[in-house]
Amino acid sequence: MKQYIIRRSSYSLLSLFLLSLTIFFFVRVTGDPATLLVEPGASAADIAAIHQRFGLDKPLWTQYGLFVWSLFQGDLGQSFYYQTPVFELYLDRLPNSLLLAFVAMSLSLLIGIPAGIMASVQVGRFWDGFGKLFTLLGQSLPSFLVGLVLILVFSVYLGWLPSSGAGTPLHLIMPAFALGWYFAASHMRLTRSSMLEVLGSEYIKLARLKGLPQSMIIAKHAFKNALIPVLTLAGINVVVMVNVAVVVETVFAWPGIGRLLYEGITFRDFPIVQGVVIMGGGMIVIVNLVIDILYAIIDPRIRLES
Amino acid sequence: MSSFVYHAERPLLSDERSGLTRRGLLGATALGLVAGAPAMARAAGPQGQLTWGIHVSLAPSWFDPAETQGIITPYMVLYALHDAMVKSMPGNPQAPCLAESWSTSSDHLTHEFVLRPGVKFHDGEPVTADDVKFSFERYHGVSHELIKQQVAAIEVPDPRRVRFKLKQPWPDFLTFYSSATGAGWVVPKKYIERVGEEGYRKAPIGAGPYKFVSFTPGVELVLEAFEGYWRKVPNVKRLVMKVVPDEGTRAAALKRGEIDIAYSIRGELAEDLQRTAGISLKPVVLQAPNWLYFPEQWDPKSPWHDLRVRQAANLAIDREGMSKALFLGHCKVTNSIIPYTFEYFWQPSTAGYDPGSARKRMAEAGFAKGFDAGLLYCDASYANMAEVSVNNLAEIGIRARLQPIERAGFFAGYSSKKYTRGIIQGASGAFGNAATRLAAFVVKGGSFAYGSYPDIDELYPKQADELDRGKRGAMLEKMQQLVHDKAIYAPIWQLGFINAVGPRVGESGFDLITGFAYTAPFEDITIKA
Amino acid sequence: MSTPADVIRLPSPAPRFTALRTFRIGDFPVIPVLILGVITFAAIFANLLAPHNPEVGSLAARFKPPFWLAGGSTEYLLGTDQLGRDVLSRLIFGARVSMVVGFTAVMVAGVIGTVLGIMAGYIGGWVDQVIMRLTDTWLALPALTFAIFLAAIVGPSMWNIVIILGAVYWTRYARVIRGEVLSLKEREFVRLAIVAGCSKPTIMLRHILPNVINSAIVLATLMLGVVIVTEASLSFLGVGVPPPEPAWGLMLSDGKQGLMVGYWWLTVFPGGCIVLMVLSANLIGDWLRVKLDPQLRQL
Repeated sequence: MKQYIIRRSSYSLLSLFLLSLTIFFFVRVTGDPATLLVEPGASAADIAAIHQRFGLDKPLWTQYGLFVWSLFQGDLGQSFYYQTPVFELYLDRLPNSLLLAFVAMSLSLLIGIPAGIMASVQVGRFWDGFGKLFTLLGQSLPSFLVGLVLILVFSVYLGWLPSSGAGTPLHLIMPAFALGWYFAASHMRLTRSSMLEVLGSEYIKLARLKGLPQSMIIAKHAFKNALIPVLTLAGINVVVMVNVAVVVETVFAWPGIGRLLYEGITFRDFPIVQGVVIMGGGMIVIVNLVIDILYAIIDPRIRLES
Repeated sequence: MSSFVYHAERPLLSDERSGLTRRGLLGATALGLVAGAPAMARAAGPQGQLTWGIHVSLAPSWFDPAETQGIITPYMVLYALHDAMVKSMPGNPQAPCLAESWSTSSDHLTHEFVLRPGVKFHDGEPVTADDVKFSFERYHGVSHELIKQQVAAIEVPDPRRVRFKLKQPWPDFLTFYSSATGAGWVVPKKYIERVGEEGYRKAPIGAGPYKFVSFTPGVELVLEAFEGYWRKVPNVKRLVMKVVPDEGTRAAALKRGEIDIAYSIRGELAEDLQRTAGISLKPVVLQAPNWLYFPEQWDPKSPWHDLRVRQAANLAIDREGMSKALFLGHCKVTNSIIPYTFEYFWQPSTAGYDPGSARKRMAEAGFAKGFDAGLLYCDASYANMAEVSVNNLAEIGIRARLQPIERAGFFAGYSSKKYTRGIIQGASGAFGNAATRLAAFVVKGGSFAYGSYPDIDELYPKQADELDRGKRGAMLEKMQQLVHDKAIYAPIWQLGFINAVGPRVGESGFDLITGFAYTAPFEDITIKA
Repeated sequence: MSTPADVIRLPSPAPRFTALRTFRIGDFPVIPVLILGVITFAAIFANLLAPHNPEVGSLAARFKPPFWLAGGSTEYLLGTDQLGRDVLSRLIFGARVSMVVGFTAVMVAGVIGTVLGIMAGYIGGWVDQVIMRLTDTWLALPALTFAIFLAAIVGPSMWNIVIILGAVYWTRYARVIRGEVLSLKEREFVRLAIVAGCSKPTIMLRHILPNVINSAIVLATLMLGVVIVTEASLSFLGVGVPPPEPAWGLMLSDGKQGLMVGYWWLTVFPGGCIVLMVLSANLIGDWLRVKLDPQLRQL
């Protein structure tokens, strides 16, 4: 067991190392941050001064060495644009991102699960079609459009909700819906198919034979078992949401991680891009590592494999 | 809400928390109105709140003049928090501010500034000559090497007097000290030494009309009137600068009264706001001309080598039509690549739009059927302008394909002279005068000059050595005339940057300082009674 | 990621007139197929169908409404955009862009993902570890990051968007296909092939690939929608298909500012096209999923 954990962890470390290498060199190919900190036509001395200030005048490998070295000390570097430690900026945005992802996910499940259940017990009937169309519509509309229409309707015309920003639960409603609707379709699909699967299983048939009422069967037996894969998918999707939220964050001026990375890229703020990508990668790697180790504990066959 | 809010002092009422009424909680009222409601005590002094919708992300480095880079954006905050010895003010690009007066010795080696009496920082400490010296030495932003190299010593004969001793005569000293760099903006020495650089970044103090209250990165900056400001007591009590990156959202927020001032609104959205009762547009002509550049003109085999082709291209661009369509007609067509406000600017004849004679010139040059011009490179954020240019050029037979490139990549490619074929749509808002612009964009060796002409190159060193202002000006005008006659460029315009203000705003502060895109001076901004 | 037992299909309900049933003859999704057919037709014959040049307009004819509204004319059936270009022509040519971007990106993602998925699942061991760790860390590089990287390195173009989308979405294939392969590996016919002395590449190519191709096709129909919507989002962020290319996503992102002013046709038409295309692809995908492979759940 110990050996498995060690092997598995070293793979994870290796992938993080590769990620750091990739992002470090990729981001440097994309251009020079100095050109964005001066107006075109500025003197070469000014540009050289900026390079020196950010340590961009050193050879690439030296820069990479310094980057990895400070990474080991838990330091992600200082943002060029904000002149603030990246880690601080990251921690500052993370709660916002998680909050948005969590609420969006709840909304998404709130739409997806009932739609999926209705669809599974009414295969081919009205609710099946309606649920499918509604969730699929969410997946077909780009979220910036959904966001803009929500703002026009609920902020400009009705005046019920604040158009942008963060701070109160009211600020959360529109961005969470715009983000969550997009994911509802995949939750609906999975709920529907796992419900169908469970409903077809032996023990549900047995329950039917025993004469339990249909609603009871669905609520008590089928739903509970069908929920497990849906929640697993939802867990993965929360991570995905943090990454794809940039569009919604831009429309609603929501101060999350996606926007931080986006601005990092547009300003060629190398430390931010590196930091956000490494943190995101680190989280994903750790979550996967934990899952794998848990599986290995549950199922000894996995340990022995390879 | 973010857990990392910087507080200089306890915030009085953060706007979200101020919504004690039900309507406030519903977010249905303009937040400013709520905060401004208890204006019963109509005593003298700052009242109410105004909220900005800012188009870019606010960075803490903008709270510190020592960090100023060569772009204008940080000044949108600097004008509120800080003050300079000499800075651009309404009607005077070099207005005495913290410095009451200054003098230059006859040998041009000594500049002496006398501080305004009784001026205080936000913490009540007086602004002294030591602070001025400290600020200059601490400055590490754009051109800091250049300006520091020129200065041999800084003397402080008494607390109200600062003397800059130069190594050699430098007529541009005051220009660089007052507006080309942030070196003349004064920060409190004692305070910074006490709290350290890190502490200063989190709770900056200055001598400007507004005090720092709190900053939430990526969300908002809250400022409060500093009643001890020397020029006048600010009218508005609280300023909130919210980051709203999407243009459509800014417009919606303005319509709904969530914000009072929205930066950068373009095209259709501006049109809509113009029609909205209570909202008015505040266009500002930027000191940043846009142009088309023909990098192939030095290649004898290229059609662009022919002057008539370049003139035809100049005649083909419908500048006014484009300005009306994209910027509601607020752009200023100057027909030059040098801002009209610059020293030594020479005004060429008006840019014409005449596709008929353009086609004729094409025919004379032997391109009656037009030619394939390859790619037209542009900064992706100005792709809409370039699209019109491509269409305009196509009408006279110059067929180009648009190649929009994201800003950083575009300027990297432009300056590394990667775009040797085709057409380049460029722009520059760099500080300087006619000579600096010509140096970068026209003269041999310029970082954006893909080629040059000997008659222009010849004049450049001559004017640089000329000490007589009049003679130098004549030479620079001659150079600009040559640029125009040779049609090296097809200048488009100086962009009309459109901002919008809501019904509560009295004086918005837009366009008070020539060429400044944002609201300033902040102490002049008012709320309608 | 093992796959569950077969989904047992419930007996079909009594024939009844329902909303969805009208969509189908028998079980076949007629309308979605028709819609995709029309879009494909428009894409192929765009040159013949489009009444105007989609990239050239005149500033004098900006924001003309569709022909049935006051101020509209039959010259521009669906109105004009902010630069006076014909919306209908742009939609028709946009079908081509969307089809090319959508299908090629899905193909790229499918090929990379399927190959890596089969390798990971069948070879196992360190190959599996490397590929799976790669898919993990890939999630940390959002589409947008890729988009700017590539645009900066080789200049923006429609084909870059294809590469970007392909490079972003292959991991989904890899995961699903790997799961399939893991269960196929244990099946009789694969074991027999091993006993018969077939080499690993032969088994993967001859025995495994044909059995996962169904899943790959189903996944492709679902991914088509995801890819098209992502393409639009990239345009919104300014790193999508570069103008003046008439891509639906770009049209939508350019036109959305006009929504507040009342130029709804700039949003509704391209938006409608995207929705129709994505919905159709998804409905066909759902149908195929039931027909071809009832085991595919986690899509």
